[in-house]
Amino acid sequence: MTTAEHDHHEDQIGHIVPIKFLVFICAILLFLTAVTVWVSRYDFAEINIAELGIIVAMLVATVKATIVGLYFMHLRWDRPIIGFIFVGSILLVVLFVGMAITDSSEYQREIIKGDSIDVIEELKKMKR
Amino acid sequence: MAMSTTQEQPVTDNYLNHTKGIFSWLFTLDHKRIGVMYLICVLSAFFFAGVYAMLIRFQLLTPEGTLLTQDQYNQAFTIHGAVMVFLVIIPGVPAALGNFILPIMLGAKDVAFPKLNLFSWWLWIFGLIFFLVAILSGGIDTGWTFYTPYSIDKTGAMGGVIPALIGAFILGFSSIFTGLNFVVTIHRLRPKGMTWFRMPLFLWATYATAIIQVLATPVIGITLMLLVVERTLGIGIFDPAMGGDPVLYQHFFWFYSHPAVYIMILPAMGIISELIAVHSHRHIFGYKFIAYSSIAIAMFGFLVWGHHMFTSGQSPLMNTIFSLITFSVSIPSAVKVFNWLATLYKGSISLNTPMIYALSFIFIFTIGGLTGLHLGTLATDVHLHDTYFVVAHFHYVMMGSALIGFIGGIHHWWPKITGKIYNEFWGRIAAVMVFIGFNMTFFTQFMLGSKGMPRRYAQYANMPEFQIYHVISTIGSVIMALGFVITAIYLLHSIFAGRRAPANPWGGRSLEWQCSSPPPWDNFAEQPTVGDCYDYSVLEWDEIEQGYHWKSGVAHPGEETE
Amino acid sequence: MLWTVTSLLTAATQIESGGTFWMPEQASTVAQSVDFTFDVITWISYFFFFGIVGVLILFMVKYRRKTHSPTTEGPTHNTTIEIVWTVVPLLLVTVIFVVGMRGYLNLVESPEGSYEVSVTAQTWFWTFDHPEYGATQVGELTVPVGKPVRLLMTSQDFLHSLWIPSFRVKMDVIPGRYTTLWFEATKVGDYRLLCTEYCGRDHSNMQAIVHVIPADEFKERMVKLASEYVDMSIDELPAYAINRLYNRCQSCHTKDGSESIGPTFVGLWDRVKSGDVGFTSGEKLSSLYGEGTEYVVPENYIRLSLLNPQKHIVKGFLGAMPSFQGQLKEKQITAIIEMFKHFDDLVDADGNIKVNTDGTPRD
Repeated sequence: MTTAEHDHHEDQIGHIVPIKFLVFICAILLFLTAVTVWVSRYDFAEINIAELGIIVAMLVATVKATIVGLYFMHLRWDRPIIGFIFVGSILLVVLFVGMAITDSSEYQREIIKGDSIDVIEELKKMKR
Repeated sequence: MAMSTTQEQPVTDNYLNHTKGIFSWLFTLDHKRIGVMYLICVLSAFFFAGVYAMLIRFQLLTPEGTLLTQDQYNQAFTIHGAVMVFLVIIPGVPAALGNFILPIMLGAKDVAFPKLNLFSWWLWIFGLIFFLVAILSGGIDTGWTFYTPYSIDKTGAMGGVIPALIGAFILGFSSIFTGLNFVVTIHRLRPKGMTWFRMPLFLWATYATAIIQVLATPVIGITLMLLVVERTLGIGIFDPAMGGDPVLYQHFFWFYSHPAVYIMILPAMGIISELIAVHSHRHIFGYKFIAYSSIAIAMFGFLVWGHHMFTSGQSPLMNTIFSLITFSVSIPSAVKVFNWLATLYKGSISLNTPMIYALSFIFIFTIGGLTGLHLGTLATDVHLHDTYFVVAHFHYVMMGSALIGFIGGIHHWWPKITGKIYNEFWGRIAAVMVFIGFNMTFFTQFMLGSKGMPRRYAQYANMPEFQIYHVISTIGSVIMALGFVITAIYLLHSIFAGRRAPANPWGGRSLEWQCSSPPPWDNFAEQPTVGDCYDYSVLEWDEIEQGYHWKSGVAHPGEETE
Repeated sequence: MLWTVTSLLTAATQIESGGTFWMPEQASTVAQSVDFTFDVITWISYFFFFGIVGVLILFMVKYRRKTHSPTTEGPTHNTTIEIVWTVVPLLLVTVIFVVGMRGYLNLVESPEGSYEVSVTAQTWFWTFDHPEYGATQVGELTVPVGKPVRLLMTSQDFLHSLWIPSFRVKMDVIPGRYTTLWFEATKVGDYRLLCTEYCGRDHSNMQAIVHVIPADEFKERMVKLASEYVDMSIDELPAYAINRLYNRCQSCHTKDGSESIGPTFVGLWDRVKSGDVGFTSGEKLSSLYGEGTEYVVPENYIRLSLLNPQKHIVKGFLGAMPSFQGQLKEKQITAIIEMFKHFDDLVDADGNIKVNTDGTPRD
């Protein structure tokens, strides 16, 4: 079939990750999922930082994504360039989401809120 | 030694007759057969969508509309657009020609993942099936862009939307897997001596295309899925009645669909690099610049999607950013055109059919690219957006450039793929007809647009003064269609009754010309060694076989050093 | 031959009047700068196009192949020229960008004190409200010449786009959101207004006419429009109401019997007259008719629903109706009531309006 004359790069292509290790990682991920669920139910308003729930959830999600990338996606043992490619695609995501959010925040004041489409009132609000 | 070009005797065992039976084709792992199957499928889809195009043109002959009801017309332009974009021009060059040529040009036996390659083809077939279901079940009339909220509305838009979205989703995966295959193949399967900068430019172009295919296509996948979910479950992401944002859909859609147009044009540009060099028997000018410009186009292409949305309610801030970056994309394309012209300088230009297509490409792409300036400029785009000016622009670049490049490539590699030579006289006639017909059809549409005719209008009864433009456009489309029909006829005829082709009819230097026409089952018996693939001085014409072969006495690359 | 064709094309394109090879006539203040930008780009394009094609043809002829095995000895690279033909286009496109940007900023920022018109787009027609005068126009827009006009636009259903080619202005009209565009007309006359974002079946029919009239006639025309109904007799009112007033109701109340955010107008009068309407509070409308009750007669129910719709919400609906207090004159309310009474004479079974504002039948 299609075997290339192998390049002489040094790294561990063909490195097999032990199943036990993958199961262990899976367990960590499940634990972190449980943390996220708990956080979503706990009322942080008591500590006066209502946004803490979101922050914790996003941090946990980032940690999980990193673990998945490093271990399940084998980036930990691959050549650095592979990791850069992966990060590059994340950058594209950031680019897209960032531009879309910037755009929508720019036109937020034009969005009609609620049920009433009272044109005359909106007209008065739009006057600068 | 399968490396040097064979002499006269026809090769009896080649990839076409190596095994027999329909299943040996439908389940083949041979990239050449997969390429041929793609070619047949893509060209059939082209004719199918072309029929819809003719319906559109004939409808617009009169201001009141000649043939179709409004609903039928709306379906016609939707189906024409969707089939042409998703089934023809995006897969087009990479799948049909790339699959066949890339491994051989690279000097490999096959692509990196042959089974994945076959799977890509089957995904194309499934995508086609879903499109046919969409057309036959409810019909689709949303436009190929599926803008919300119209595409969400079940009472407004027709019922074939969901099968069409699923079909496009599946086709997306066909594209992704092809791209993935090509990236790995080019990285890993280059033979000894073929460094990155010894690759033919068609491979650079295909590589850049493959990167875009892998990175961008998943976005349209997600977008279409979100649209399906929105339409079935009403999650409210794009529907303003539920707090969603229709402009967000457009961001999602164009984030893929702009890079998609570079998927369409880059491989065609790669073909043109090959055609211009080979058929003017001249070393390509500015190899590195052309190679880098392919990569630059691929990269910049990701940053400009908002220029499809200048009047959509996108904020002025974003409009300005996107307009600025859009101009940057025009520069690498211009650089390519100048390099091709410089290649022609002091060349020996053979005005055969592939070259006519290549020259047509340069003419048409120049117009297409320059009118992109009108559209990328904010003040003028406000007037021109959503008019026939845009329709003309994208047909100039997608059809007049990408498709014509594709057809030029088909002619260039036809002897290699089929082992037959087509009728050169009719080839030239058809090429000229296509060129003239194309310009007649679409140049008038620039004026239609700037003078005040919007897109997607089934009739223009209130604007009868536009009729003369439409009539000229329709006449042009008939000429062009005839050109395509003639092309189909002589190409098919050549398969059955054409003259047998030598290994190297045009005097190409890249590796695919160093195996027989058609190639043997396994491409090369041993891996060939690579020199400068644009140095034609080592070739000479052989009157008997009507082709080129290596000059006797000139060493093959790598031979002296051993 | 070419000249004949081009002059034919130019002559054939006298839409409103005037216009050039590429563009319709200029009828707004921004049209000139937009056309100037267009011309700059076009002339740069002509230069490059004729240059490139000229070189192409020259080479095609001069370097035509003469033998099968030629020797070609042209240059294969030249970094200097690569830089030149990268930098020069870069500078040119920068110029184009700047010119385009400045024209664009002009299009976006409407002047202070612009005359405001509120635009509602829906399948498949345009409604223009003049809040300053209380006048409404459907399918036509009257504006004064020489004064900046700002359109505040929203859609009732799908994406539409408002384009006035002779003014060179365009903006998409989006449901759930406002978008704006402004223009200042420079010439009296009629100009086309077109929908230019595909919106379904009748997209190509969704047009309007912009009437630009002398500034001193404008106020008079608006007042007349706003008081169109003032001299009408009671039996002229239904036709007026269905054409001029119903468009404000139609986003929630259908005229073909189909369900929507509010109760359909088909058969409404029968229901209201008989009082066979249940409210979310549990009350029945019929119990509110008669001496000493809240509404007394059915006509009052209609009148008070327009002014205070939240008082009684019909069962099964959301109570989303806004109040029209201050927006409708007394006679307009009467017109609406009359419209309900004669609804079947005004609208056919498919929900199409059968009569024009002046009572003549519509085809």
